[in-house]
Amino acid sequence: MVYKIRDLSKKFGKHYALKNIDLDINENEKIVIIGPSGSGKSTLLRCLNTLEIPTNGKILYHDMRLTEHTYKNVQGKIGMVFQNFQLFDNLTVIDNLTLAPVLNKIMSKEEAYETAKEYLKQIHLEDKENTYPRNLSGGQKQRVAIVRTLMMNPEVILFDEPTSALDPEMIEEVLTLIMEVSKKNITMIVVTHELKFAYDFATRVIFMDKGKIVEDGEKEQIFNNPKTERLQKFLSNIK
Amino acid sequence: MNDLKEIFYKTFIYDDRYLFFLEGLKFTLIIAFFSVLLGLFLGILTSIIRDYHRETKKMKFFSKLCDIYVYVIRGTPTILQLMILYYVVFKSATLSPIIVGILAFGINSGAYVSEIFRAGFEGIDKGQREASKTLGLNYIKTMRYVIFPQALAKIFPALGNEVITLVKETSIAGYIGIVELIKAADIISSRTYDYFFPLVVSAIVYLFLTYILSKVMKYGERKLNHGV
Repeated sequence: MVYKIRDLSKKFGKHYALKNIDLDINENEKIVIIGPSGSGKSTLLRCLNTLEIPTNGKILYHDMRLTEHTYKNVQGKIGMVFQNFQLFDNLTVIDNLTLAPVLNKIMSKEEAYETAKEYLKQIHLEDKENTYPRNLSGGQKQRVAIVRTLMMNPEVILFDEPTSALDPEMIEEVLTLIMEVSKKNITMIVVTHELKFAYDFATRVIFMDKGKIVEDGEKEQIFNNPKTERLQKFLSNIK
Repeated sequence: MNDLKEIFYKTFIYDDRYLFFLEGLKFTLIIAFFSVLLGLFLGILTSIIRDYHRETKKMKFFSKLCDIYVYVIRGTPTILQLMILYYVVFKSATLSPIIVGILAFGINSGAYVSEIFRAGFEGIDKGQREASKTLGLNYIKTMRYVIFPQALAKIFPALGNEVITLVKETSIAGYIGIVELIKAADIISSRTYDYFFPLVVSAIVYLFLTYILSKVMKYGERKLNHGV
């Protein structure tokens, strides 16, 4: 098991962003988390790599209690793709890709460059090697950001609304790449509003509302036979 | 016309007085150069300590110390700091006024540089640090490769202003007996009873210095801004 989450709560001020979450996540699962905005999807995701520190409860990562302190042991194993890409603006595309693996001594400099170039070829950006992020389109930035997490050979990748900041015509190229990545043996957890993508991609779908997990199951069940009224309403509102 | 010629002669040529100006310029440049270096060093160091505390909650004591340093320096006149350092702190030490001047101006500038960098660090999207963290970079590596380079590019114009301000501010070094450019001009004036040439020439020299500096800063700005 990758994650074992027990009684997880997160408070911002007086407001509960997450309330008593229990969740198990197995290796190589492809999970999509859906739900209305403010339902705690992103907060849950950000607890999984200690970007948020829970107010209550615990998260086990491979039987290791995940805290800000123990996170150092797994850094780089849990990749994240952000809504706003967060490429390093001061570095070229190739340096964005090679910085972390080289500094973490996962690869030699030469290896990292080889690997990065290989990846850039796969996402058809081989000519952008020496370009700075500001000269890329949103879709290109996000694809580079996804590849950047792959450079670390992660066990898990968390996607926090990876297409929400994109122009509509660029969403497809990013989702296609995420589908491509899903063939790898990596546990993937995606927060998204793209339900069609969710249906193609997910092995499991979690529906959250008001800081709680309302439904959790196989995608066919979630999309075709929603049990709760809240999920039915959510799905009909989107369709 | 002849009067002007004569005053010019008395001011610069007679007794090789132009050497006096050059000597003054030399001390201005020495103090400015080394206090800029010291100011950058102190400013960067203290701003990083404060940033480190803000990010990790560690080193609270040193961070508070840096806060106090910045607060005290920004809250008192430079000339007072210079005189306190010379007449009080190093009163019994046989330190050359030049060294005291460099220390005073460097310590003074460091506080302003610290504030400039603080604003720079805080201005970087929080997500850049989060991305670094998920890529396994610790605080030092994140600062070294991600935050500092971006902040530096953003604050470079403000940093340029500070350097130019500091160069001009060294003109009060005469208060602790350093014969820098302004003091040299003053001394010559007192001998020739003419203020026109010494003061105007000093002004031109300062203008020239700050012109060169602003050119250098512009060049640096262009170099740094390739990516951001």
